[in-house]
Amino acid sequence: MIKKLLAAVKKEALILLRDRIGLSILFIMPMVLIFVMTLIQDSAFKTLNEKGIPIVFVNDDKDSLGIAIENGLRNSELCSFHDSINGIPATADVVKKAVADGKFLVGIVVPKGATDAIKRNVIKLVSQTLNTDSPPASIVKPTSKDSVEISIFIDPITKKSFLTSVTSSLREFISVIKTKIMFKTFSDQLAEIIPDKKNAPDNAFSQTQIIKYNEVYASKDIGKIVPNAVQHNVPAWTIFAMFFIVLPLAGSMVKEKSEGSIFRLHTMPSSFLLLINGKVVVYVFVCLIQFVLMLSVGLVFLPMLGLPTLALGNSILGILIITLATAFAATGYGVMVGTIATTEQQGAIMGALSILLLSAIGGVWVPTYVMPQTMRQLSAFSPLNWSLNSFYELFLRGGGVKAIIPDTIKLIAFFLLTMSIASIVNRVKRKI
Amino acid sequence: MTTDSIIQINHLSKTFKGKTEPAVNDISLSIKRNEIFGLLGPNGAGKTTTISILCGLFPSSGGTIKIDGMDLHGDLDYIKQIVGVVPQDIALYPTLTARENLNFYGHMYGLKGKVLKDKIEMWLSNFGLTDAANRRVSTYSGGMKRRVNLIAGVLHGPKILFLDEPTVGVDVQSRTVIIDYLKELNKSGTTIIYTSHHMDEAEHFCSEVAIIDYGKIIIEGSPKQLIADNAGCENLESVFLKLTKRKLRD
Repeated sequence: MIKKLLAAVKKEALILLRDRIGLSILFIMPMVLIFVMTLIQDSAFKTLNEKGIPIVFVNDDKDSLGIAIENGLRNSELCSFHDSINGIPATADVVKKAVADGKFLVGIVVPKGATDAIKRNVIKLVSQTLNTDSPPASIVKPTSKDSVEISIFIDPITKKSFLTSVTSSLREFISVIKTKIMFKTFSDQLAEIIPDKKNAPDNAFSQTQIIKYNEVYASKDIGKIVPNAVQHNVPAWTIFAMFFIVLPLAGSMVKEKSEGSIFRLHTMPSSFLLLINGKVVVYVFVCLIQFVLMLSVGLVFLPMLGLPTLALGNSILGILIITLATAFAATGYGVMVGTIATTEQQGAIMGALSILLLSAIGGVWVPTYVMPQTMRQLSAFSPLNWSLNSFYELFLRGGGVKAIIPDTIKLIAFFLLTMSIASIVNRVKRKI
Repeated sequence: MTTDSIIQINHLSKTFKGKTEPAVNDISLSIKRNEIFGLLGPNGAGKTTTISILCGLFPSSGGTIKIDGMDLHGDLDYIKQIVGVVPQDIALYPTLTARENLNFYGHMYGLKGKVLKDKIEMWLSNFGLTDAANRRVSTYSGGMKRRVNLIAGVLHGPKILFLDEPTVGVDVQSRTVIIDYLKELNKSGTTIIYTSHHMDEAEHFCSEVAIIDYGKIIIEGSPKQLIADNAGCENLESVFLKLTKRKLRD
């Protein structure tokens, strides 16, 4: 039996090695895919984080609020700051047109007297609170305006999420300024009531900033693994490539039918399972080679292009287990498609489309967390999703073998299910 | 079943799923041990279906088959060990060499080691393929492919050999080599069941023939006897045409 299996493995390996197109599908195309997808996504990250989105700003206020917003925008990684158009200082009138023409994604105009309006409102509030008759004349010159209206012009192509970020930043700047003015007004009013201010520190306001934010990725390997395009794309497209063996595997099975070899094999004293196991051994090995190659892209070649190096997490054993489970699942699926398909075209279309679909549902193309609820529920049925979740667990969250056991069991069950279906379909097809 | 018959077929029938007309219709045959038995008939007569059932490729719809005293359905594993099949199509892996193909099929028949190696070399030599043995089958001529196709079916020394049009599409030289070696094989004790469209080949090669048409056996006997029994017929081809008429079947 072992001799027969080894002969089947040798035959399958020789056929595969002599199929140059099949080999390129298995090894070169997925590597190119990882390069391209990672570079594209990394570039998209850079557009948002490094170069920023073009914003034109008009500061008609010329006071605290306008200056604070201007400084905030200038220092923000979110945007690239402009206060002039074609070398001419921007005005409220031209900003709207410039945004409408697509020269800028967002235009912001802080109107004249905006700071004064805030001050007046704050002073009114402080006076009411402290029951003083009138605000000190030295602090504010009265204006006719009671509210501040900052105009934001938006290019219709601007993403809603980005617009939310910009308006949130503006609210934050205004809030800080308002608090500062309020703090100063309170201090001045109190100074009039309590003349001795010796104990008041000069930087009293900054000392009130007692809440700080510490943003840490919830990884078990804290501080080492940072999510980036490489960490997401290398495992995602490696799994995709491993499942793409469905095409050459199903193709080889259909060829055996069309070339008549299967006719002879069915008349020989060897079981269907033995013949199929020869294929399983070879293609699982192919998947392992694919995995090593894809990892080498993440560990060696992508860093050469200035991209981050792939971090593998803490568990090499875990990586080996989930890779093997994924390889078996992919191979089982290929055997099933190859058994069901009756022509090479059928096998290719069935295999390619189903893998594209399962990968899309599984979160290879777009992370599942941005999908609608229904699609997220569907993704739980994709073997690519089970595998991807496990790799994220190992690579991003620093998990170990224990963390990937449930998905490993699902993948092995998927392999057994697809092999059983293939066996049943083969039996049914022979009962013509 | 007579004591010297190696294949006994009783009321064999086969109707494919979705078809109303049977491909094989109530066939009964007794094939003697060490015979060269020709199953002749026009295209679509039921020859390949009969052979496919006999070698266990798919089940019959009715009837019983005993091969070497064993029931085909109950003892299929044993029967697969003692039969060899040479299909009508070239059932080889085109990207493998002849030697690699034969090595694989030999292993599938349970051969291994030096025994397998020696058998492969012997048959390659017999069929004039030693020099081309390490070339991919896809580069072979039609005749060379037919010869390798034949070797793959006889490598394990079967008791019974099913040949489905083994000489179709080959030149006279290849055909002569194939027929001569099949005769040698028969002399060494292999029973041969053979289908062909070449009536002259069948007339000289077969010890017994059956003509099948529309799934039924219409006549059975030795070629000489059939020619003698049909007045005005000078050879097996004229007997065949007399009995099956000239109407096209496909």
